[in-house]
Amino acid sequence: MNRYFFYLFLFVALMNIMIFVPHILNDNRFDGSVAAILISPIFGSIMIYMFTNALSRFPGQGLPEIFSQYFPRWFTTAYMIFYAMMYWFSSTVVAMAFAVLINRFFNPDANVLIIMSIIVLASGYAATRSTLTVMLLIEIIIILNVPIILFIIFKMVTSPQLNLDSIHVVANYVWHWPSLASLAAATFIFTGYINLSLFNRLFPPNFRFKFLWMYPILGLIILLVTFFVPIGFHGSQGTAQYIYLWTITADSLMMQYGFIERVMFLFLIVFLNLSLVYTTAAWHQAMEFLKGCMPSMKPETDSPKAPISNYVILGIFTMASILYMVMVNENMNLAITTAWLIIRMFTEVATVATVFILSRRRLMPR
Amino acid sequence: MRPIAPIILKLALALLLLVPVGGCGFKDIDKRFFVVGTGIDLSGNEEKPYRLTIQLAIPSPKIEPGTSKFQYETIDAISIAEGLRMLKAYVDKELDFGHCRIFIIGESLARKNITSVLDWMVRRRDIQLVANMAIGKPDAASVLKIKPISEQYPGNALLLSFGADGTESSYNYAESLSGFSRRLTEKGLDPALAIVKGDKNKGYIINEIALMDKQKIKLVLSPDEAQMFNQLASRFTKSSMHGIYRHDGIVVAINQLHSRFRIENQDAQHLIKVNIRMKTVIEESSSSLMEKDLKPVEAKLEKSYEAEATKLLAKIQKANVDPLGFGLRYLAMNPGEGSWDNWQRIYPDASFKVNVRLIIEGTGLIW
Repeated sequence: MNRYFFYLFLFVALMNIMIFVPHILNDNRFDGSVAAILISPIFGSIMIYMFTNALSRFPGQGLPEIFSQYFPRWFTTAYMIFYAMMYWFSSTVVAMAFAVLINRFFNPDANVLIIMSIIVLASGYAATRSTLTVMLLIEIIIILNVPIILFIIFKMVTSPQLNLDSIHVVANYVWHWPSLASLAAATFIFTGYINLSLFNRLFPPNFRFKFLWMYPILGLIILLVTFFVPIGFHGSQGTAQYIYLWTITADSLMMQYGFIERVMFLFLIVFLNLSLVYTTAAWHQAMEFLKGCMPSMKPETDSPKAPISNYVILGIFTMASILYMVMVNENMNLAITTAWLIIRMFTEVATVATVFILSRRRLMPR
Repeated sequence: MRPIAPIILKLALALLLLVPVGGCGFKDIDKRFFVVGTGIDLSGNEEKPYRLTIQLAIPSPKIEPGTSKFQYETIDAISIAEGLRMLKAYVDKELDFGHCRIFIIGESLARKNITSVLDWMVRRRDIQLVANMAIGKPDAASVLKIKPISEQYPGNALLLSFGADGTESSYNYAESLSGFSRRLTEKGLDPALAIVKGDKNKGYIINEIALMDKQKIKLVLSPDEAQMFNQLASRFTKSSMHGIYRHDGIVVAINQLHSRFRIENQDAQHLIKVNIRMKTVIEESSSSLMEKDLKPVEAKLEKSYEAEATKLLAKIQKANVDPLGFGLRYLAMNPGEGSWDNWQRIYPDASFKVNVRLIIEGTGLIW
């Protein structure tokens, strides 16, 4: 079962590319990104340790159940709605970034709204399934795609185009104090554990989280690759000029004997898969949090039939996503996402601290 | 039990997926013109400074040498993007740059300013960043219009010259668009491009390298210098070197070469130390080397290589370009404000020390 926690961590960590993390880090590369990258594993491992430790005292319970045990109804409801909105937003950003990417690189003549509609409809339908199905879906997508990602990263890291001097120049700026935005962007890599706030329902009693030491190391490696590989390819000055940094970096590589020479297409397909499953997982969680507000709702992880409420909630999400895309342009999207990353960091700290304190209170005799 | 509702829902979803099919911008492959080579020159006309030449592949059922067919389109325009837009009026199919792997910049343009050309290339989404860049001499159009008799399919000959699939020439300097655009922006790492010339309209000669600053050509290296530059830059392909030992000419083939450099500060005088290790085999010698100790031969060859390399480095330094990335290394090793200004002061006065370790592994099949 520990592998499920691993998947939850990994697929969020890999999604950083779609949620502008490399872009934000690269914008701040001369003031504080490197320090943020080094600080974030510490932050991440503390959060992971506290959250898993606390949740192991609430076996089989998600955040809605835990909160409604201890807090008044209005507070739980408000918090869950806020939480659901945070989740909804992150996946909307990912879906939108992807729709724009497909429009730019695959089919420039198509209407971007139609592409977006297809993406959100597919993800929305998948999100109506049961929690267990979504978890298994994540597993399948991870197993199918991670080997390809490893292959692309291996090719990049071993490429002679990767200039170590450029990387060294940027790494020298390690003593600059990180800005809030770069810290929020860097800690996003470690945020996968927060998915446990719903998926903890799947874990049986007496479940023990193992190999926790692995996550900070893995996260740090992903973060270093995310940040430094584009710098090695485009130089310490040149990275700032690209909007789709990682797509462009993938395009700088060639698979001479592959079926398709341009690595970019392979890269985009892999990340399309990941984005779809990210959107699915995030919306599923948002939906469950909303359902958790209602007193009559019993948490179910493997219902044979999806209740009507699932369709209703996800219908609203889908509409809202398309509406968001109509209203917001790309520059605004970047600004809003940066704000979201910062709010997310504080929300996470608040949530983890609350659950941790609740779990300690439970130990004390009343 | 009302099973009909989900079925209707599913049908509606399936029908909904048909909606985008109509709006799809897909064009069939036979409705596209694949551009296989792009040349950009200066036209000499003040009002329309750029001359754009594109080489369009015409698909042919036969794949045998000399059967590749082209169509050329040329236009003068104020800017490249506008020229391209205008060219669409000249052809019947949609222009597609997705397969264009060769971009040639005319020499006159490269001697003036190439920044706007590069901006266009990097901006366009369908231009591959792995495309090869080169300078055409005397101009890009004449290079593109060469029809090599050995060419099997359109645009292949020039592409093979640059990649490692076909010929491996130690005089060629293959630079991709992404590498070139990196070098245009990076402090302390200047761009360089190979120069392509036509060989009596039946092939290409690529044996010179143009060294550039961030805008234009500063120095053109002769074939011998170009080979040595490739060796110093570790862009090594199997190459050879020539030396003289006791009045006899010796040619050795270099099989392996490692080049490293270090920047040292000795009494306010900066020294750039280049260490080269190479493993060689004798390819040609006018006297027999039987029973001869090869050590003095090695020492002699090392000496002559060191002298030539130092001369080349000094020449590059004098042109005030830095294609080997000494400046970038200095920035990496000396962090802090003003480091770049320091380097710009240091570089013109820095001295070079080349240290070669040459090992002769064998004398070929005969003594």
